[in-house]
Amino acid sequence: MRKFFPVEELARDERFNKITMRDRMGDPRTALNVSTDASGKRTNNFRLTPGRRDASDGARGLMHGIFVGEIQALEGAGRTCWDFETDTEAPFALKLDMARQCWDEARHVEISVKLSDWMGSEIGQYAENTVLFEAACSTDPVLRLAGVNRALEGLAIDVFTTMKEFGDLAGDPYLEFCEDWMLADEVTHVKMGSDWLRKITENDPDRRKKALEFQSVVDKLFSYGGTRSDSQESPIGLARRFRELAGFTDDEVADIAEVSMQALNERKSAVAKMREAADQFASSAAAE
Amino acid sequence: MPVTVTPQTFNYVFYDAELIRSIAAGLLGALGMSDHEVFIDVDETTPLARINCTVDDAIHIHADSGAFEDTRKPRQQSETATATSLGRVLLRARDRLVGGFGEAPADDDLTLAQVAAWETYCIGRLQRFGVPVNQQRWRYNFRNRHGFSDASDAAFEQIWQSEGLTWGELNAISDTSVASSAH
Repeated sequence: MRKFFPVEELARDERFNKITMRDRMGDPRTALNVSTDASGKRTNNFRLTPGRRDASDGARGLMHGIFVGEIQALEGAGRTCWDFETDTEAPFALKLDMARQCWDEARHVEISVKLSDWMGSEIGQYAENTVLFEAACSTDPVLRLAGVNRALEGLAIDVFTTMKEFGDLAGDPYLEFCEDWMLADEVTHVKMGSDWLRKITENDPDRRKKALEFQSVVDKLFSYGGTRSDSQESPIGLARRFRELAGFTDDEVADIAEVSMQALNERKSAVAKMREAADQFASSAAAE
Repeated sequence: MPVTVTPQTFNYVFYDAELIRSIAAGLLGALGMSDHEVFIDVDETTPLARINCTVDDAIHIHADSGAFEDTRKPRQQSETATATSLGRVLLRARDRLVGGFGEAPADDDLTLAQVAAWETYCIGRLQRFGVPVNQQRWRYNFRNRHGFSDASDAAFEQIWQSEGLTWGELNAISDTSVASSAH
């Protein structure tokens, strides 16, 4: 079996349609307020709560995102068990943790399928963004732990907290219960990443610095142009308490909050530019 | 009567105004509403999926681009999503036009529970017209607004199967369901 599997070759059946982050960011549409035109009348609160008019569809879409995220997390943890030589490249105990994580992620996939069914979605009903697995393709196991266990699983903590609260407020016992259980696993996964990062780089400050820089890049990418931040404009909030339990320091959480806000503002700026270009194109097409 | 779609050319999404027009025209014929003029305004700058309508001399539909989108292929149009979204607001418009819904609040003034109940009523009928729908999606939406309970599920089934309800009857089922779930 080959090592370091490319994202383009992830096995999916015909129900799935994969898209990249480039596709996602190339979409000039946004619900955010980006200018003073008609969109300026839009709400500034997009936090995913049952009070939102499109709450049910929003929750269904996010649930499908969780489902494909769990598949990719399973694939990433599985690759880490295989891609690195035991002890010379990665300690056996680290691989054992990754194997345990595979077990958890496989269970999460099954739970997510059942929750999607409960919410009225079908497998593959939404496009699959493969950015999560891309973060799991680093050739350094420490960077992979930083990208997957601390950034990706950290995002999972934020997402599961949002969904658990959604289920609680809506009175949906299944959603609240399932998200709570998965959240507990995610806190453990992040903790494993934090512990191994500190242990392996204990005497290698440069490697630790690189890993933390990589994590910051991935955190920004996973903020999805402002999908996750402290701002009410973001559907997903930052779950500070659970991040603390997972081993993030206050400074680390503050850094994530900052890069998330940067991602939100950069997205607004990028969309404004794309709109300007689209409007210019439409004007010149009309003139012709 | 004509159906007018705005814009005629899309710059943010890969939608076909003529396809939207023809789906709307087909639905108007099937629903016995061909004598009504319809204006469909699509806001292609937002990916949200809201859709609502106002009725005066004509029917005015305002849709976010997400209402007609193929969620598997972002920015591409889905015929099924277009038919489902247009069908549900056209049925709501027809309810207002044919009588029995005179005292119903304007779309913007409906509560979330009232919207869910009316959508259930519309989508149930739409399915019987032959438009493919996922019933569980709408059951989940109804439960979110009326509670996750047996009483709520029974109310959903009653509304889904119904024809010829008045606003008073529909609203009473919704209110009773909300009250039952609260206990």
